[in-house]
Amino acid sequence: MSKKRNEEAEELNLVPIMNLVTILIPFLLMAAQFISLAVIDSTLPAIWPPQPTQQDDTDKPLNLSVLITDQGFTIAGAQAVLPNEGGDSGPTVPCLESGCPTPDSYNTKELTRLLGLVKDQYPDDQNVILVPESRIQYAVLVKTMDATRESPTTGVGDKPRELFPYVVIAGGVK
Amino acid sequence: MKRSLRRQAGEAGLTITSMMDMMTIILVFLLKSYSTEDISVAPNDDLQIPMSTAQKLPKLAVNVVVSRKEILVDAVPVLRLERVADPETGAETVQVPDDMKTGQLIDKLYDRLLEKAETAKELGSRASGDQMDFKGQVLLQCDKRLPFSIVREVMYTAGQAQFGEFRFVVIKGGEG
Repeated sequence: MSKKRNEEAEELNLVPIMNLVTILIPFLLMAAQFISLAVIDSTLPAIWPPQPTQQDDTDKPLNLSVLITDQGFTIAGAQAVLPNEGGDSGPTVPCLESGCPTPDSYNTKELTRLLGLVKDQYPDDQNVILVPESRIQYAVLVKTMDATRESPTTGVGDKPRELFPYVVIAGGVK
Repeated sequence: MKRSLRRQAGEAGLTITSMMDMMTIILVFLLKSYSTEDISVAPNDDLQIPMSTAQKLPKLAVNVVVSRKEILVDAVPVLRLERVADPETGAETVQVPDDMKTGQLIDKLYDRLLEKAETAKELGSRASGDQMDFKGQVLLQCDKRLPFSIVREVMYTAGQAQFGEFRFVVIKGGEG
């Protein structure tokens, strides 16, 4: 009985814990990172010796390249340039809006679909050469690298299908 | 009246239980988002890192930041960029000042990167094991609105200074 009364009388002293927490919160706020970063690997062509991951097993290397212009994407291989659906000399995947005013107007979904078809023909090839024009924004370059690396819609289960993960960026066309 | 108020306040005391609850929740949340990544970015108006679906985690390397204002190597400013109107479209674009480069090579950046490469090589030769070996890796943080011509010049310069493996830093999280 007397013990119970004792417990009631003594209140838990939370002040030291409060002090600790108040100091911890600003410290953790400073160290917290609310954005998570990732990297996209790329190697220099020609100047650097070929990386061991970039070997060509096929007799005829594909040398898949994607030209990025202010009209859209043009897909080319060692042998030929992929024509567009209209059959004219324009880019293989034209922009959704003419003149490609924003990075979003590039039709990356169609590019991914077409590259998926290329991958069906050349399942061992992993390299893609990107050839952007000088004026192309860096955001478009990153979007293109995303589109050529993997196809999120045609994967097995949750895993996206890998297309051409090894990107080489070439000097570009003027 | 005055007396009764004072007495009430004295009896009530400060209830800090709910505040403690809140603090504990904040603490747990912050501990969860606490990270000790090798690189850090300080996004601002002139440095907007693009988003990407890439998943690869960044590793420590020489950090080259190209914002719309300047180029930095390991947080030290190397040179300022100038804003000009594009001769063809008239839109505002960014470029390396002509007197700062020889052809495609950005002189100041080249000198700084060569210095970094030499330091890294010396470190690698002194350290045991191949962990510190110079691999020529460079982390590139570029603003998403930069024209490719600048990125190309920076890449070319880095290539000349023996940095041949580029890692483009992007923000994880979907398309865009």
